[in-house]
Amino acid sequence: MSFLAKIGCGPNGPKKTTILLWLSVVFFCMANADPAFGQRRFSRSFAAGQNVRLHLFNRSGTVTVEGWNRSEVSITANIEAPAAIIAPQVGNDGTISINLVKDNQGRGELGNVNFLVRVPYSCSVDIETVIGNLIVTNVRGGLVRAHISSEGDITLTNISAFAVAAQNGIGDIFFDGEIQNGGNYRFASMRGNINLRIPFTSSFKVVATAPSTRNISLGPFSGSGMSYQSDGRRVVGKFGDGGSTLTVTNQRGSISFFRR
Amino acid sequence: MNCGDCQEILSRFIDGDLDDRSSAALADHLAVCAECTVIRDDLAEILLRCGEPETAEAVPPNPAALWRRINNLIESEMPPETPVKQEPKSWFARGWNLTFSQAGAAVLTIALISSLLTIVGLRNYFEPPGSDLPTRANEPPSTMHRLLSKVGLSETPKQARERRVQEQQAAIEYWDKRVQTRRASWDERMRVAFDRNLYEIDQAVSEYQMILQKDPEDQLSEEMLDSALTEKMNLLRQFSEL
Repeated sequence: MSFLAKIGCGPNGPKKTTILLWLSVVFFCMANADPAFGQRRFSRSFAAGQNVRLHLFNRSGTVTVEGWNRSEVSITANIEAPAAIIAPQVGNDGTISINLVKDNQGRGELGNVNFLVRVPYSCSVDIETVIGNLIVTNVRGGLVRAHISSEGDITLTNISAFAVAAQNGIGDIFFDGEIQNGGNYRFASMRGNINLRIPFTSSFKVVATAPSTRNISLGPFSGSGMSYQSDGRRVVGKFGDGGSTLTVTNQRGSISFFRR
Repeated sequence: MNCGDCQEILSRFIDGDLDDRSSAALADHLAVCAECTVIRDDLAEILLRCGEPETAEAVPPNPAALWRRINNLIESEMPPETPVKQEPKSWFARGWNLTFSQAGAAVLTIALISSLLTIVGLRNYFEPPGSDLPTRANEPPSTMHRLLSKVGLSETPKQARERRVQEQQAAIEYWDKRVQTRRASWDERMRVAFDRNLYEIDQAVSEYQMILQKDPEDQLSEEMLDSALTEKMNLLRQFSEL
């Protein structure tokens, strides 16, 4: 008996059971396929000076930015299907820009794009996404801005920047870093928890507002320089010399301060 | 001797340089010639004057009076000045010959201008710098602003809030229309995320509006309402660009 006959594909054509068997095997393989199978990978590197600026606007997915000790910006991205177009551009001032929303406008359904960007420590970071998490670590540039249009968490760790702005719709915001004298720090969320971990030696003027929950915990920073206003919906005050400005607003969530 | 010979040696004769024979001949001629005698007398007078010692220059006894006289003389000889046509005097130079109604109007105008300047000055003095504040709605109305709103010269906080909300609602409607045209092209996850965020914002908006209905003076809710509506506008704008 030939091999074809053995598997049911004899001269009279395949048997029904054999066809069903093969179809189930194909279906099983597709259903259990590794999601990475449908992924593409993007990788580019750019030589960068110390005052480089990264502007990244993602559509959906996680963006992770890490500071490193190299004068180079390395961008890698895992692109899920349907694949979005990534077209980095370098401006005359050295700004590296990626705008997935603009580059893929009107393309309908697109898969997540998960970025891992490594930048020099002194890089200014301006990242944004429509949906997804934003993570920034070890950055000491002039500016760190993270903005999520709708849902996602923002995690800023080991940050030392003169201006920090983090804003999202639904999701948590965590900031762990230094408050520089004369700097400006803004954190705003619609619903989520805002947790700020800063050194006790910080010096700032604060306006913290949580109108819905009235859940504002100043932790070790509470004291005579702080006053609760509007039935506890807002805390206004000064800690230390009050050199920098800290504005925290959580419309329907909590605000907590921790000692770093 | 004739007259020519006589006048030629006349100068020497006066000086006494001639010999006796020439002097006698000349004297004979002078005795008979009147013209040469006159010449001799003039020349002798000139030589006599030149021989006198120099006298000091004559100085007038009162120079100032002399100059006054000279000036008067010059002025009396100058033609009389034509009368200058007088320029019309300016409004201020005419003097304050105002009627009672003009004076009243002037006083009222001055009072009005000074009041306005005072108001502007006080408003600038009382208004804190906006950079330290999160949003413009956070700016508390100054005492003067409240005063003006009470007398109807400025909009009340409620009117200002309503105007601002109307502006924001107009922008929201515009972006909402754009979102509706794009929404069909979004995937399921986008649609769900958008609806969930919009719901949260709308909840917050209705919450603040409820508080403001009870207490229209609640500035914090006013500020938060402003912020939530801005959030809504931004959400719609961002999703309309997908």
